[in-house]
Amino acid sequence: MKNSPRQLEFPVSQKIYGRLLLAYPGSHRAKYGAAMAQLFRDQCRDAWNESPTWGLLMLWVRIFPDLVGTSILERLAALNERKTMSDKLSNLFSFRTTSASIFFTMFALVFMLVFFLSVVITYILPEAYASTARVKVESDAPVLEEQSPAYDPNFIQTTLEIIQSELVLKRVIDVLDLNTKWGKKYSSGGTLKTAESLQILKQRLQLTPIRNTKLIAITAYSDDKNEAAKIANAVAEAYRDYRFESRAMNDKAVIAVLLAEYQNQQVRIQKVQGELDSLRQQLKIQSDASAGQNPQEQPYWDKKRDLGYMLESHQALFSKIEAQKLDLALPKLTLVQITDTAEPSYAPVRPNKTLNIVIGAVAGGFLGLIAGAASVFVAFKFGNRASKNAAPA
Amino acid sequence: MAKPKIEPDDFLPLTPAVFHVLLALSGGERHGYAIMQEVVESTGGQMKMGPGTLYGTIKRLLEAQLIEESEERPDPHLDDERRRYYRLTGVGGQVVKAEAQRYADIVAIARGKKLIGKSALVTVSGGC
Repeated sequence: MKNSPRQLEFPVSQKIYGRLLLAYPGSHRAKYGAAMAQLFRDQCRDAWNESPTWGLLMLWVRIFPDLVGTSILERLAALNERKTMSDKLSNLFSFRTTSASIFFTMFALVFMLVFFLSVVITYILPEAYASTARVKVESDAPVLEEQSPAYDPNFIQTTLEIIQSELVLKRVIDVLDLNTKWGKKYSSGGTLKTAESLQILKQRLQLTPIRNTKLIAITAYSDDKNEAAKIANAVAEAYRDYRFESRAMNDKAVIAVLLAEYQNQQVRIQKVQGELDSLRQQLKIQSDASAGQNPQEQPYWDKKRDLGYMLESHQALFSKIEAQKLDLALPKLTLVQITDTAEPSYAPVRPNKTLNIVIGAVAGGFLGLIAGAASVFVAFKFGNRASKNAAPA
Repeated sequence: MAKPKIEPDDFLPLTPAVFHVLLALSGGERHGYAIMQEVVESTGGQMKMGPGTLYGTIKRLLEAQLIEESEERPDPHLDDERRRYYRLTGVGGQVVKAEAQRYADIVAIARGKKLIGKSALVTVSGGC
């Protein structure tokens, strides 16, 4: 059976610990090296049983300072033993070789640990895939033709906020059934509340306006590449639907207002028409040919002219309502256009393995230099004090 | 010339690591892993020794003749032959008793000053 990378960490840790035992003096290694390696193996097994993911990491975090501290103490003890057997000249030579040995041992220890941790963390971190959909957005054209389009400098920013709002994202949660899907994944098979799914969804979205265009890139992140693409596309579609619906609602509201005004006008026209008829009977006007001949008929002719204006206005309002209804029926394709749909990506975007490992190597080298220099300083300045502390009583 | 006799009190006070290793061995002979487990259990997980600390301590206790390596295996069939077992020497037993008594005296003083109650648990803590 092929081992997974995580299963391999166990023997790898033992191999690394075996190499790190070189930090101890040869005499100590010869006597206790095998027992220490065996004890570390037992501790690895316990840590693995406790938690395969973090157990080994926590064990290393605990073991490494122990290894550094005790290896320095053992080397100091070995150095003191040698001093009693060597003359001053050989001690001087021994000092140089020992300081170089301590420096390089510490450098190697710290470098290997930091590098190892960076590799382990890089491979333990969950992978994340990203998919991007792009949409072209236009500001709403004025509902009534008389209104002039106004430039809104905050239009893109407002759009970004709307895309991340509940108005849009709740649609995504419903369409993709994220409460159930993420409930299975993050809530031991239960169902998440919409507020919880909303929080997760917001964390996984990144919206980027593309400079000097009306385009917005909607990037979704997920540990599942197909899910990332579905979320990005669903957000783009949900925003498009939201814009269409809100525009349709505006249009309907405008039509309702215009219709109400149209009906009011009809009432007023009927009233004026009635008054005009009674005036005509009262003044016994037979035909329109006598207009302007008799000054007593003037109120009739004035009212008739007013009625004519009212009828013209009424007709114009009717045309506007018809145009508005037609506009409502037309699809608003230019409001939001999905210019690019998201596709599942082939490679994860997080973690950036190469970058993490390079940073681990650089940081390991830097910390190794500091640790090496500090160890030599501690070893030869405070050696006697440390040796006393090492005594059992 | 005869070696000057070393009194148990000469070793006191013990470091926490040494005291815990001696306490673990006071229950009988044990190998390194068993000592480590005993220390973890007796301190409620507060003290977890690494291999470096444990075998550094064992080395110094062997040199001080407070413990010795045992040739016998409790049950060779059930155990790894490569494991080394350690047990207390006579002096080691006296030293751990003396240190325990020292702690008991300190606890009595603390109780006298009402710093701790009668039921207070005493743990000896220390790093690995």
